Amino acid sequence: MRNIWIIARRDLRAQFNSPVAYVVIGGTLFLVGVLVFLIPHVGNAFMGNFWELDRATMDQMFLYLPPLMCLFVVPAVTMRAIAAEKGSGTLELLITMPVRDSDVILGKFFACLAVVLILLAATLLYPIAMFVWPWHLGPLDWPTVWAGYLGCLLFSSAAVAVGMMLSSLTESDVIAFFMTSATLSILYAIGWMASISPSREVSSTRAPSSISCRSQRFAFS
Amino acid sequence: MSNDVMIYANDLSKSFGSFRALDKINFEVKRGEIVGFLGPNGAGKSTTMRILTCFISPTSGTARVNGHDVFDAPLQVRESLGYLPQRAPLYLEMSVLEYLRFAAELRHLPADTFRKRAKSVVEVCGLAQVLGREIRHLSHGYRQRVGLAQALIHDPPILILDEPTSDLDPNEKAEFLDYLKQIGQERTVMLSTHNLAEVEASCARAIIVSSGRIVADGPLDEIRAKSGRVRYVVSVQESPGTASYRGRGEPPKKSEVETALGAVGGVKKLGDLPTDERAHAFELVSDREVDLRPDVFRLAADKGWVLLELHRDAQTLEDVFRSLTIGDERRNRHVGPESDAGDDEQDGAGDDDADESPRGASRDRHEKTASDRS
Repeated sequence: MRNIWIIARRDLRAQFNSPVAYVVIGGTLFLVGVLVFLIPHVGNAFMGNFWELDRATMDQMFLYLPPLMCLFVVPAVTMRAIAAEKGSGTLELLITMPVRDSDVILGKFFACLAVVLILLAATLLYPIAMFVWPWHLGPLDWPTVWAGYLGCLLFSSAAVAVGMMLSSLTESDVIAFFMTSATLSILYAIGWMASISPSREVSSTRAPSSISCRSQRFAFS
Repeated sequence: MSNDVMIYANDLSKSFGSFRALDKINFEVKRGEIVGFLGPNGAGKSTTMRILTCFISPTSGTARVNGHDVFDAPLQVRESLGYLPQRAPLYLEMSVLEYLRFAAELRHLPADTFRKRAKSVVEVCGLAQVLGREIRHLSHGYRQRVGLAQALIHDPPILILDEPTSDLDPNEKAEFLDYLKQIGQERTVMLSTHNLAEVEASCARAIIVSSGRIVADGPLDEIRAKSGRVRYVVSVQESPGTASYRGRGEPPKKSEVETALGAVGGVKKLGDLPTDERAHAFELVSDREVDLRPDVFRLAADKGWVLLELHRDAQTLEDVFRSLTIGDERRNRHVGPESDAGDDEQDGAGDDDADESPRGASRDRHEKTASDRS
């Protein structure tokens, strides 16, 4: 346990020592803001923004968070986890220390997850700003919001695990980023691909295996 | 296995795909020994060290460190080791102190022990001025020292250092080797290097590996004696320049000197050394028992030559190293590591009188036995 904590702490500090974590958190908050509040209803692609919906709900945010995580957040957070250590040779240090391999992996996992959690915590600013202070746009159904966050947490844990595995396959963080991004996006989009499939059988059997389908159950009232 | 054997390797082999990096290596290192692990690049030094530190596992064979098997008890093995990999494993964004603290924490060093150890390690590695600096801003030499400090921080009974001195300047090297000798009295140190002078300065014993096999293992003197030859350097004045010639008659021609020296009894091999136009310089090789110096002096005096230089080199470790490992490399290029089939036939482009292959002939152009000349 102690080893996991030591490794996680070092990794978390490394994340915040590099600009990546700041760019990821800041960039995601910005994108969520734009997507939720500014992009209007356009054809089928966007469901209509927060204002157009005209209801006291954060559904929009939980609609856009998982795809952003897949495309951008999780790949950026996990890309360096093991790839960079391999590239710089520090993995040799960690592995030859008297710690179990599982300690190293878990330590890194929790460090990456912590960055994602910090991002999720930061997105709380939106419901707070809209429904608590400074604005009170209506009575928000908070349990739905918490359920949405729980869904995001579980989803991002799975995504971080996938990202770390892909990061361990290469020495280059750029390659790790794109592999993770592609893998997670495909997993996410299976449901959408199934839904546009002409075969009813495909759409009914494949859709439940997609991340989007799974994550929506948490958030939508 | 006695208690004093700290590192024990038995028939260690490691293959990467079809490439055999290690081929049944056997050795033991006892407590208090400093062993130099020598070999050309790609000989298997790092591979052996990585196996001993449980970074990779051997394809076959067993290894024990401090009595623990690398397969069955890797954690105990790692606990008793300080390891500096070839490329110092540094987190560039950490400061030196943070990095050392991290290493100490992973080894569960209590804070006050860490403070005490850090003090002495910092002193030994000369890190006092850079403690607070980020590692990314340090020069190569300093980075190497930080890596070293990491390996020493927990005062391990066994140190495995993969080319620890490769980036140090000569002063630092000397200091470091002194320190190694100091701590090596009750600890076991295994260091790999290509630099033979270092081995001579710090190690009592050397293991020479070449293409995955141990070609020599023993005390330095023993290894040095292996080739049993002594080398002499003779140079005779060719032209006095502006000064007047102090010898008898005309200065000798090169061929004249070469012929005469070749005829000296006991000369096994004669080669010319590059010089300017003032002197002829030659390299003689003889067996260990005979001393050629009186004969060479007599020859020069009789002929009336001006002898500028005459000295005798005991066979250096370098020569032994070269003679032990070069043959192997050559064989590998032609046959590959798996096969031991006669190397000369492969060299000789179908020439069945294997010994006088074209390559061998050109290499030994200057080799003349004394009997040829007499």
